[in-house]
Amino acid sequence: MRGYYLHIPFCEKKCSYCDFYSLETTQHIDTFVETLLREITMRADAPTSEPVTSVFFGGGTPSLLSIEALTRITEHVRASVPVAPDAEWTMECNPGTVTAESLQGYAHAGINRLSFGVQSFTESELAFLDRIHTADEASLAMQLARQAGFANVNMDLMFAVPGQTFASLQYNIERLLALEPDHISAYSLIYEHGTPLYAKLKKGLVTPTSEDTDAAMYALVIDTLTRAGYEQYEVSNFARPGRRCLHNRTYWFCAPYTSVGPSAHGLLGTTRYWNHRSLTQWTAKVHAAELPEANRETLDTQEQLTEFLFCTLRAEGIPVDIIRDRFGIDIRQALGQHLTHWIEADFIRDTGAHLRLTAEGYRVCDELTLHMLACVE
Amino acid sequence: MKNYRNFCIIAHIDHGKSTLADRLLERTGRVSAREMTMNQILDDNPLEQERGITIKLHAIQMDYTANDGNSYKLNLIDTPGHVDFSYEVSRSLSACEGALLVVDATQGVEAQTISNLFMAIEQGLEIIPVINKIDLPSAVTTIESVKQQVIDLIGCKEEDMILASAKAGIGIDEILETVVAKIPPPAGDPKAPLRALIYDSIFDAYRGVVVNVRVFDGTMKEKDKILFMNTNQTYELDEVGVLYMQRKRTGILEAGNVGYFTAAIRRLQDSKVGDTVTLASNPTTNPIEGFREVKPMVFSGIYPADSDDFEDLREALGKLSLNDSAISFEPESSTALGFGFRCGFLGLLHMEIVQERLEREFNQVIVTTVPNVRYKVITTRDEILWVDNPSQLPNPTLIKEIQEPFIRAQIIAPSEYVGTIMKLCMERRGTMLGQSYLSADRVDMTFDLPLAEVVFDFYDKLKSNTRGYASLDYEYSDYKQGELVRMDILLNGEAVDALSSIVHRQKAHEWGKKLCAKLKELIPRQMFEVAIQAAIGSKVVARESISAIRKNVIAKCYGGDISRKRKLLDKQKEGKKRMKQVGKVEIPQEAFHAVLSID
Repeated sequence: MRGYYLHIPFCEKKCSYCDFYSLETTQHIDTFVETLLREITMRADAPTSEPVTSVFFGGGTPSLLSIEALTRITEHVRASVPVAPDAEWTMECNPGTVTAESLQGYAHAGINRLSFGVQSFTESELAFLDRIHTADEASLAMQLARQAGFANVNMDLMFAVPGQTFASLQYNIERLLALEPDHISAYSLIYEHGTPLYAKLKKGLVTPTSEDTDAAMYALVIDTLTRAGYEQYEVSNFARPGRRCLHNRTYWFCAPYTSVGPSAHGLLGTTRYWNHRSLTQWTAKVHAAELPEANRETLDTQEQLTEFLFCTLRAEGIPVDIIRDRFGIDIRQALGQHLTHWIEADFIRDTGAHLRLTAEGYRVCDELTLHMLACVE
Repeated sequence: MKNYRNFCIIAHIDHGKSTLADRLLERTGRVSAREMTMNQILDDNPLEQERGITIKLHAIQMDYTANDGNSYKLNLIDTPGHVDFSYEVSRSLSACEGALLVVDATQGVEAQTISNLFMAIEQGLEIIPVINKIDLPSAVTTIESVKQQVIDLIGCKEEDMILASAKAGIGIDEILETVVAKIPPPAGDPKAPLRALIYDSIFDAYRGVVVNVRVFDGTMKEKDKILFMNTNQTYELDEVGVLYMQRKRTGILEAGNVGYFTAAIRRLQDSKVGDTVTLASNPTTNPIEGFREVKPMVFSGIYPADSDDFEDLREALGKLSLNDSAISFEPESSTALGFGFRCGFLGLLHMEIVQERLEREFNQVIVTTVPNVRYKVITTRDEILWVDNPSQLPNPTLIKEIQEPFIRAQIIAPSEYVGTIMKLCMERRGTMLGQSYLSADRVDMTFDLPLAEVVFDFYDKLKSNTRGYASLDYEYSDYKQGELVRMDILLNGEAVDALSSIVHRQKAHEWGKKLCAKLKELIPRQMFEVAIQAAIGSKVVARESISAIRKNVIAKCYGGDISRKRKLLDKQKEGKKRMKQVGKVEIPQEAFHAVLSID
C-alpha cells in the first residue's frame, strides 16, 4: 500500500466548518498547477520503489481544476512515480459543480472513484453548513456519475448539525441510500479551531448538539447504514463489500504516502513532512527549487507505536501479530484486565487476528485509545 | 554578665516584627544598609518570606553602646510565628529575660500575641510595649484604642509604651535604650555546674547539628564533654561561638550568653528543643524545667504520584527531616494509592510547609490524603490503640470507646462577630469556656473544640466569616470520648481506603452527602456509570452517581490530522497516568483531599 495525495486549495465558497487549507478564489489556479507539477517532480525520488496504489485529489475543491489541468497532473504523477495498474484514483467533487462533460473528462484522465461532499439533503442544514449545492443537485450528480461510468462513488453525510432532528437525519440517510452510493463517510460535525463555525460557537451564536443526542444520532447512523449492507470499517466510514477506500486505509495503516500541494502531510518510512500552509510560501519554495516543507519529524519507536495503535484501532482493528512483530509487544498481555473489561462491556471484539471496535466501542474510541496508550508505554 | 541583654519580640504576623528586627540590626551596625535591601533578614527561608511567617528560630548578637557610655551585647532571639510551634516559642522565651511586645497601631492586639505574651509573663519576662506603624495615616483614628488595649492587657502606664515605626526608623533608639535600661541582665553563676537550654537546632551539611543554646549557669568550652540530660547522650564540644549574621567562633560561652555549639551530632532528633546541656564530668542537679517531647498532632498520607518513585520519596523525607525534627513518617500502603508514608505534623501549617518543601526543594510529585488527628481507641478487651489512619480503625464490635484530642482555642475579634464565631464553633462541636471584652468593641473568646474539627478548614472559615478580623490561637488540652464512627467511601461497591474518614455520628449523614457531591465533581466521567456511596459499616448514608461517557471520538482522522492527534493523545495520556485506579474506576489525585474543599 502506498498513497499519493494532491491538495487543491481553492473553493468557490468556503464551508463554515471546514479547516482544510483553501482560498476562496480561483485566481492563481494556473500558476498553482505549474507549481504542483514541479513539486511532483521534486518528490519523484521517494525512498520506496513500491508502486502507488491510490491517488487522491483533495481540497479545497479539486473539481475546480480544468479537465486539461487535471489530465496534465495525472499524466505527470504516472510519469514520476510507479503507479499500480489497478490503482484507486479518487477525486473530491462538489455536487453542485459537476457536469456530464466534466465527469467524462475525469474518467478520461484516469479518475475511477468520486467523492461527493453531499453532507445533507435538508436545505436548512445545507445553508447552515454554507454548502453551495442543493439537495436535488446531489441526486443529479450521482446520476451523472453513474452515466459517466463511475462504479465507485462516495458520498459524505454530516450529523449532529445544530438544528438537525432525528427525523431530518433519518430523511437524509434515506435520500442518501436511495442513491445507492458505494461508500459513505458519515461525520459528526466538528467545531475546528480557526473556522467561522468555531468563532460562532465561542460567541454563543451556535448551540452545539448535546453529547447524548450526538451519541444517539451516531447510533442511528451506524445502525441504519449497517442494516443497508454497508460495513463500518472506521469511526466515520462505511462501504459496500469490496468498496473500502484504499487511500484512507493507507493512512490508518500508517503505510507510506507522498503528498503535494500547500498544507499537505506526507509520511515516508518514519518521517513525516508537512508543506507550508500558504499558497505564497509554498509557491516561493518550489520556485526556489526547495522542498516546500514547513517542517518534518522523524518518529521514534514509541511515536510509531502510538500512531499505529490509534490509527488501526479507529479503523479495521489492531492487528495483534503485526504489533508483536513490529514492536515486540503482546498487546493482549499489555492491556491485561482492561481488555477483559472492554470485551465484557462490548466495546471491543477479539477476532483472533485483530482487536476491533464494536459499534459501542466506536462511540468511545478516543477514551479507549487513551487507556491503551497508557497501558503500552 | 551585667552587660548582656537577652530578649525576643512578640508580635502578630504582619505587625512588623521582622522589619523591627532588621532595623535593630541596622542600627547596631550588624548589617549594612545595602544588605538591608534584602529585607527581613531573619526570615531566610523563601517559604517563610512568602508566607510572612517564621518557621525556624534564629538569634543574633548585637553590639550597642548606650547613652550611659557602656557597651552592651544584645541577644535578639527570634520566635516562630505560628500556633503549630507554640512549644518552640515557649522554649525560646525561656532563653530571654525580656520581650518587646509589638502591636500594630492600626490593628490592635491579636490572639496569638496574647497567648505568647501570657507565656512570657508566666516566665517572668520584662515586657516592653511597642506600638508600631504609628506613621500610617489610619493610625490616627485607632492608636488610642490600641494603647488602651495594651494598658488593659499588661497594666502598664501610657508613658511606658514606645511609639515606633520600624519602617520609617522612628523609635528605634528609644527601644534599644529601654532594652538596656529595663530588661534585667542575666542572673546566673558562672562557677556553678553548666546549665544550658537548647532552644533551637539546625542541620548543617558540613558540621552536623548546630545547637543554639542559652547558658544559664557555668561555662562551656571547646573539648568539654557534655551531657544532654533528657536524651542522656554525651558528646564532645567541637566548636563554640556566638551568633552574628553568621556564626562567630569564640571557643567559649559563659553564663548569661546565647550562642551555638557543634559536637558531631548527626541527627537533629538527637538534639531536642528544651533539653538541658550540662557537663558530663560535673552535671547540674537542677535541669531546666519545661522540657517535653514534641508529638505530632495532625497526620496525613503522603504518596508518590507515580508509585515507582516510592524510594525517592523516602529519601526526600529522610533529608527533609534532617532540618525538621518535628515531622514523623512511617511507611504505609493503601489499595488506592500503593506504597507511601503516614506522616505526622505539629499542625496544619506545618503539614502544608512539609508538603510544599517536598515539592519545591525535593522535586517530589506527591498525592496527599485528608489530614486527620490521632484517635485513642479502647477496645472491648481494654487495650489502648492509637489510630492515626482512619482506615485502620478496628471493627466497631471490637471498640469500647473512641477518644479524640481537644484543643483550647482562643479567638479574638471585633465584637460584632461574636454571633458568627459562636455559630461556627458550635457547628464544629465546640463549647464556649469563656468570653471577655478587651475593649468596648473587641472580644476574647475561649472554646473547647475537637482538633479534628479544626484541621479541616476552620481557620479559613473563621477568617472569611469575620472578614479577616478574627485571630486564633490554640493549645492542646486532652482526649475526650466522642460518638465517632468511620465513614467509608465506596466506588462501584468497592471501598477506597484512602478516602475513609472518622466523623461524629451526628454529622456523618450531612458529611457523607457533601463528600459524595464533591467527589462527583472531581471524578471525571468514565466509560461506565460510577456509583459513589458513603457508608458507615454496611449502612449507606449518602450516594451519588456519575453518568457514563456517551460519546468521545473525533470523527475525522486523515493524513493531516495524525501528528496533531498523536501529540494531543500524549498530553492527555500524562493526565491519565496521574489517575489512581481503584477497581475499574479512575480517581484523580485531587479527590484524595476532596474534603478540604467542602463548604
